[in-house]
Amino acid sequence: MLIQSSLIPAADPNPLPAPYWVFELFLIATFVLHIVAMNFMLGGGVLALASKWRAKNRENGNRVFLDIAKKLPIFLPATVSLGIAPLLFVQVLYGQFFYTSSILMAWPWFLVLVLLVIAYYGFYYVSYRGGKSMGKAGGVLLGSTILVFVIGFLFSNNITLSQTPSRWGAKYFASASGWHLNLTEPTLIPRFLHFFAAAVALGGLLLVFMALANWKRDREYAGQLLHFGGKAFMYATMAQIVVGIVFLVSLPQAMRMVFMGANLVATTLLMVGILGAIVAIFLMSEALHSENIRAAAYYVPAIVAVVIVSMSIMRDLLRNAYLKPYFHPEQFAVKTQWSVLPLFLGIFAAGVIFWLVMIGRYGLPGGRRHSA
Amino acid sequence: MNFPVWNVVFGADLLIAMVAILHVFVSHFAVGGGLFLVVTEHRARRKNDTALLGWLKAHTKFFVLVTAVFGAISGVGIWFTIGLIGPTATSNLIHIFVWAWAIEWVFFFLEITAALLYLYGWNKLEPRLHEWYGWVYFVAAYASMIVINGMITFMLTPGRWVKNHQIWQGFFNPTYFPSLAFRTAIALALAGVYALITASVQKDAALKARIVRWSACWIVPSLAVLPVLGWWYIHRLPADVWTSARGGMPTATHFALFAVALLSVTFALALLTLVRPGRMHLAFSLLVALVALGAMGSFEFVRESVRLPYVISNYLYANSLYSKPIAGDGGFSVDQVTAAGVLHSAKWIDIRTLTLNDQVAAGHEIFRVDCQSCHTTSAYRSMKRFIQMRQWDQAKIAAMLGGLEFMHNNVMPPFAGTDAERAALAAYLTTIYPVSAAAASAATDGRTVFAQNCSMCHRVSAADPLFMNLSRDPAIAAESLSDLTSLFPLMPHMKLGIRQRVALVEWIDAQRSAKGFSGAAQGEK
Ligand code: HEC
Ligand code: HEC
Repeated sequence: MLIQSSLIPAADPNPLPAPYWVFELFLIATFVLHIVAMNFMLGGGVLALASKWRAKNRENGNRVFLDIAKKLPIFLPATVSLGIAPLLFVQVLYGQFFYTSSILMAWPWFLVLVLLVIAYYGFYYVSYRGGKSMGKAGGVLLGSTILVFVIGFLFSNNITLSQTPSRWGAKYFASASGWHLNLTEPTLIPRFLHFFAAAVALGGLLLVFMALANWKRDREYAGQLLHFGGKAFMYATMAQIVVGIVFLVSLPQAMRMVFMGANLVATTLLMVGILGAIVAIFLMSEALHSENIRAAAYYVPAIVAVVIVSMSIMRDLLRNAYLKPYFHPEQFAVKTQWSVLPLFLGIFAAGVIFWLVMIGRYGLPGGRRHSA
Repeated sequence: MNFPVWNVVFGADLLIAMVAILHVFVSHFAVGGGLFLVVTEHRARRKNDTALLGWLKAHTKFFVLVTAVFGAISGVGIWFTIGLIGPTATSNLIHIFVWAWAIEWVFFFLEITAALLYLYGWNKLEPRLHEWYGWVYFVAAYASMIVINGMITFMLTPGRWVKNHQIWQGFFNPTYFPSLAFRTAIALALAGVYALITASVQKDAALKARIVRWSACWIVPSLAVLPVLGWWYIHRLPADVWTSARGGMPTATHFALFAVALLSVTFALALLTLVRPGRMHLAFSLLVALVALGAMGSFEFVRESVRLPYVISNYLYANSLYSKPIAGDGGFSVDQVTAAGVLHSAKWIDIRTLTLNDQVAAGHEIFRVDCQSCHTTSAYRSMKRFIQMRQWDQAKIAAMLGGLEFMHNNVMPPFAGTDAERAALAAYLTTIYPVSAAAASAATDGRTVFAQNCSMCHRVSAADPLFMNLSRDPAIAAESLSDLTSLFPLMPHMKLGIRQRVALVEWIDAQRSAKGFSGAAQGEK
């Protein structure tokens, strides 16, 4: 057998067109946005189904179902478009690992696109036709949600595989036809469940936001949304604490220690994450008791935002810990493209402002509507 | 060689082509269709044509379902696919143009948002504001095409970038503007083509007639200017590149013909819709779309094939080897691999030493890293078909492998590897379709001898060195062909029997006189 590190592809010959940290920053920032959109989509789908099939009052359950379902055709493209950026930046920094793992699981990876298209059309179907045939809509939404779930699982496979080059050789030399996954990886399931629990929790927050939007108009309905979403958030986050610990324990010793003292930043972030989650649960429970929509829709999400950002940074630190034997940020030659970078930054800033104007003129999210 | 090679049984570049063609057919619609929507809306409102507005609303839904769903995802799909099949090229394109891609991403994001707001806004927004979203959509979509066009044309004509690595020179390369104009025209035409589809299902014949005529206004003029834009584009290509589509390379030549034929048919069909516009059937509109898809696909096929052997011209070959050594290439240039050997250079190879026992297995691995980006064993562009067609035995295959770079207007990179590795590859290729030595030299008519032994590198043309320089004295000619390498050192080292040589020379002379290749054609090549 070969020495595994000889398999690791050489880095791209072109110098990095900006310093490493610039890409790292953009990678993490856009990943956070991507993952939030993904959580709303997946968590929203799960809770829509839950409300339809578990609600004591059928009519109410259906209303929540449809209300969420109408938003899914927006969260899916949001997830995809916000995912393009981190996908771009990950290829800039970690292409050696990312392309390789993708090739090993080429067919499942390619299949992601097919599943995505099907899931997307499913969401549209439910949002357009859902009101007319509830039974069928439930089935279709279930299908689409499962597809999205599977896509997430494939992503977890690829990311874990990209970080464990020691597994590559055996897989590739057994077969080059691109049908591998990374199922024997002990961290795979905990890691994926970690993301899934987060999705359900954020789905709960989505309902809380919907409660906020309906608070003045239809208090009773809003109250339902608040309680259903708030509880989903709380239970999912409690489960998350357990899942997170299992994930931590499943990590190889060296990686675990990164978060348990070896790296001060990583350890602090983990503490922030756990404490944040606990505080958020208590705050939400208080908010539900006192029907305090402000606490539920502003304070809890603020804390959750901090948690998500720290978790995303941790995710990055974990990757670098995994890749430490093979990858060093110093490996890159840097030649900043001064003739393009400022142009991008300008267009990016203008784009953000313009995007807000676009949303603002439409009258979202305050619900200001123009009459037809 | 740097990355593992994904073994796509039916053909890696066929997979790319399939994803890419479906995507461009939708993404150009996404650009042209955006303009179509807002211009049509404006017109309908000005004329107070509520029926037309009603249709346009439904058409918007169709538009978003096609472009924002399939178009957007298949666009990401191209990224996924080229990353899987050509990771080195993808990585290069990303590193060279990250900030351009990032700019494109900003436009893409605005585009998707505007599309959704335009769709959902039909019932909610006042007309002026609604049209504003339509314009935002179109401008963003066009801007993203303006950016992407730079990277796509860069691959075919990187221009001076190859020498100085100045990103803007790579971006605004020689084919940038003609390609942009060409794609704009296609986008406008496709806006009409897709509109025919939703128009065809309208019950109201008068409305249908209005839409069909209006759609034809988008299709007909756009297609009419295409030849001019195509001419401009072709004239910006290096002449030897375009030779591929003019007989030099079978794939490019066939698809160039398809493209022209199918475009003409699209044009004719578009005119035909005007005969009885109020009664156009759904099947007919789908036919128009299908033919247009064929035309568009053929065009993309031509563009991709004339670029061969490169993915990025004069820089990176399609099999992920750099055409010249560059700093940081990891040893993956043709010269370095030829010097060090494939088995010692490639990372993802299980056999490191070559013995007679595992010659075939080693040959298989060499095939995978050297050839499989463009070939399969028995499906798309298959070795089996070539070897069967040419009746090559192992010795001839080995000889031919030495001159791959001359075949079909230089569409292949030179074989990268040592002589022993070349022999191993030949041994492997023979197992795909075994031909005996006797069968390989069985042909006795000159035409077949030429087809089997010379036609991949020589064309029947007054300008071809074979027809130009082969002695006109049959005896001397036949004698000179006994050793091709003495005619030109890089020609394959193969021995033709005297009967084959004589037949070949006879046939060559017959061609010369039949086609009137006079001695005057000599000299200038
Ligand atoms: C850059 C892509 C590319 C690579 C890499 C490549 N080829 Fe080809 N090859 C082509 C194309 C294109 C043709 C012409 C097919 C056509 O247009 O119909 C061709 C034709 C051939 C033919 C048929 C010639 C004839 O007409 O009889 C053989 C044999 C062949 N290739 C062998 C190989 C071998 C062996 C390798 C690897 C060492 C290889 N090729 C690598 C693109 C490639
Ligand atoms: C693998 C590619 C290849 C094959 C196969 C091949 N040739 Fe050539 N041949 C070349 C190249 C390359 C040249 C030089 C072209 C130039 O001068 O630009 C050449 C040149 C020639 C010349 C002109 C030499 C001179 O004096 O300028 C003759 C004659 C010729 N070939 C005959 C043949 C015949 C006959 C066959 C078939 C039996 C054949 N070749 C097969 C690649 C090939």
